[in-house]
Amino acid sequence: MAGMAGFSREVAKRIFAEELKSANYSFRDGEDQHQYAPSYLLTPTGAKCNRVFLVGTLTEKDDIGSDIEYWRGRVVDPTGSILIYAGQYQPEAAQILACMEAPSYIAVVGKPNLYQTEDGNIIISLRAESISRVDENTRNQWIIDTARRTLERLEILKNASLAPKAADFTTADNVPATSSASTPAQDAERAMQHYHTDIGHFREMVLRALTSLREELAKSSVHSEATESKGKAAQDGKKAAAGAQYAAEEMPAAKKGKPKKSEPFSAWPPAEDEDEVETINIGKKS
Amino acid sequence: MKELVDQIKARLKDQKIEVSDEDIKSRLEKLIVNFRVPESEARRSVLNYFFKEHGVVPQVRAGSDKVKIADIKEAGKWVDIEAKVLDLWEPAAETISQTGLLGDATGSIKFVKWAKSDLPNLELGKSYLLKKMVTDEFQGRFSVKLNRTSQIEPLEAEVEAKPASRAPQQVTVAEINEPGKWVDLRVKVAQLWETNSEAISQSGLVGDETGSIKFVKWVKADLPDLEEGKSYRLKNLVTDEFQGRFSVKMNRTSQIEPLDVDVEIGSIAAEFSGALVDVQKGSGLIKRCPVCKRSLAKGVCSEHGKVDGTYDLRIKAVLDDGRKVQDLLVNRETTERLLNLTLEEAKQMAMEALDHEVVRSLIESKLMGRYYSVTGPRIDRYLLVESITELSPASAAQVEELIGSVEVA
Repeated sequence: MAGMAGFSREVAKRIFAEELKSANYSFRDGEDQHQYAPSYLLTPTGAKCNRVFLVGTLTEKDDIGSDIEYWRGRVVDPTGSILIYAGQYQPEAAQILACMEAPSYIAVVGKPNLYQTEDGNIIISLRAESISRVDENTRNQWIIDTARRTLERLEILKNASLAPKAADFTTADNVPATSSASTPAQDAERAMQHYHTDIGHFREMVLRALTSLREELAKSSVHSEATESKGKAAQDGKKAAAGAQYAAEEMPAAKKGKPKKSEPFSAWPPAEDEDEVETINIGKKS
Repeated sequence: MKELVDQIKARLKDQKIEVSDEDIKSRLEKLIVNFRVPESEARRSVLNYFFKEHGVVPQVRAGSDKVKIADIKEAGKWVDIEAKVLDLWEPAAETISQTGLLGDATGSIKFVKWAKSDLPNLELGKSYLLKKMVTDEFQGRFSVKLNRTSQIEPLEAEVEAKPASRAPQQVTVAEINEPGKWVDLRVKVAQLWETNSEAISQSGLVGDETGSIKFVKWVKADLPDLEEGKSYRLKNLVTDEFQGRFSVKMNRTSQIEPLDVDVEIGSIAAEFSGALVDVQKGSGLIKRCPVCKRSLAKGVCSEHGKVDGTYDLRIKAVLDDGRKVQDLLVNRETTERLLNLTLEEAKQMAMEALDHEVVRSLIESKLMGRYYSVTGPRIDRYLLVESITELSPASAAQVEELIGSVEVA
């Protein structure tokens, strides 16, 4: 007997928006892969996440529900943006999002959600478990936190990439599902096999995030005016977001990739182009 | 090196071979220092050299290797061991004729002698050469099994067993950092919990000056019950680990001795930093049972039924650093300071809103998603927060340093 039926809370992983957006591989854990087994998203740097913690700038928010409120927000970090959703099954989060102004700094704890459109695009969003309004300090701390965690994963990935690479055709689907207690090294290897991750690319991403933060901190110490740096941060974020969009298109893994046999994450209503989605038929699913 | 020399010397002595320390040492050094031979290989090589020189033919082993206990790292291997019987336990099943602990200079290991093996009984404290045993593993711990093909040869010379592993060690709670160890504790029973399994007779928390730890007493252990608030010497417990948290298990071989003195339960402060990712139910304004201080659910205490509760303010939350999570319990004093809100004010708030939950909402809006650093004693899965501070803002120097580390890599 080992504690209470082995329940333990899933750690919230730290992942920059750009990386999160280029993730396209999810699976259920455990040998039997039954419907209650937790699902995980594996990102290019090998973060195996069932939960994500993200802090950034809420740049837009919309109620896209028809009968019942269904809120969607766009959160921007120095590397890109990600959509978050909160509906009737996340009443507290939805309520907070509804009352929030854009732009403002926002912290989100959420479950990654993978949706594949008919033309094979894979769209990642976060189903918010909780949303809170935070300040610039928290957002800066998150960038440092996320940079550290990402660099740690890249370090592990570096060693994994030395392992003999599987033949071209092996996608990660063929890798037998490991137990939920997979080690970071195993996750890294699996990520490497699926994404053939370009470590340099993600190191650049981290550097970009840190460099922009450094500039902001230098500026805000000159102008004590907080609002000034806030505006700048939002601007930077948008620029970076555009860049990330471009980068994501360049990345083969994020686009084609044959349809997955299973679609463990609850499917999301079709969102055509990520950028200016206005019409979404809202499902009851959350 | 000295240790290695002594080991070899002892082995040679078993075969009535006397060699000077110098002789052994120079041969070993040559292999290890000049030729980078691993110690275990060097040892084997030196031993074989002297055996050969003195005309001792190494025993022919059919399929089983003579090993040291510490070398047993795989299940399903046939092994021979020279060992001393350190302990004999009551067999748990009729299919077992004897079970207990074997020890040699490198460690100790559990053995099981099957009834079917039809082997003579081992005697406590005697040394034997046990041949053709099979290694086994359960939850990371190894054992050896004596079956029909196994052989027992009494040894004249006593096997030197590591004294440390012979007896369970008297330890403090804070020193428990490894599963599968036998320990003795001097503790006070802090809490007894409802047991959730028929195999468990009691479970709860025990503590000493250094901290608290979960304990489990199996029904099969057939031990007297522990009482809350009493102090005991608990002997022969096995440590266990689950998700980084340790516990001690009391089994059939464990003993309970009541103590006259009162053991003070203290703690060693733990630290954790991370983002606050959840404010859990039961946070905010709660009512507690006036008798046992448990929090009430709808005015009902799980122990004392419907009672007139007393108000309290607390926070149950989760910190997450991206690698691990840590459950927090924040008491009233610290909660009041953190929220800048007294219990009286919280009561007022709830009264005006006609809802206790407003206090929890306030906690969420103030704490969720922010980075904190906390310290306090760790009790079971909770860290009892004594101090909680928001992390200081990111500095340019911090960022600079991180950028530097990326560029170097």
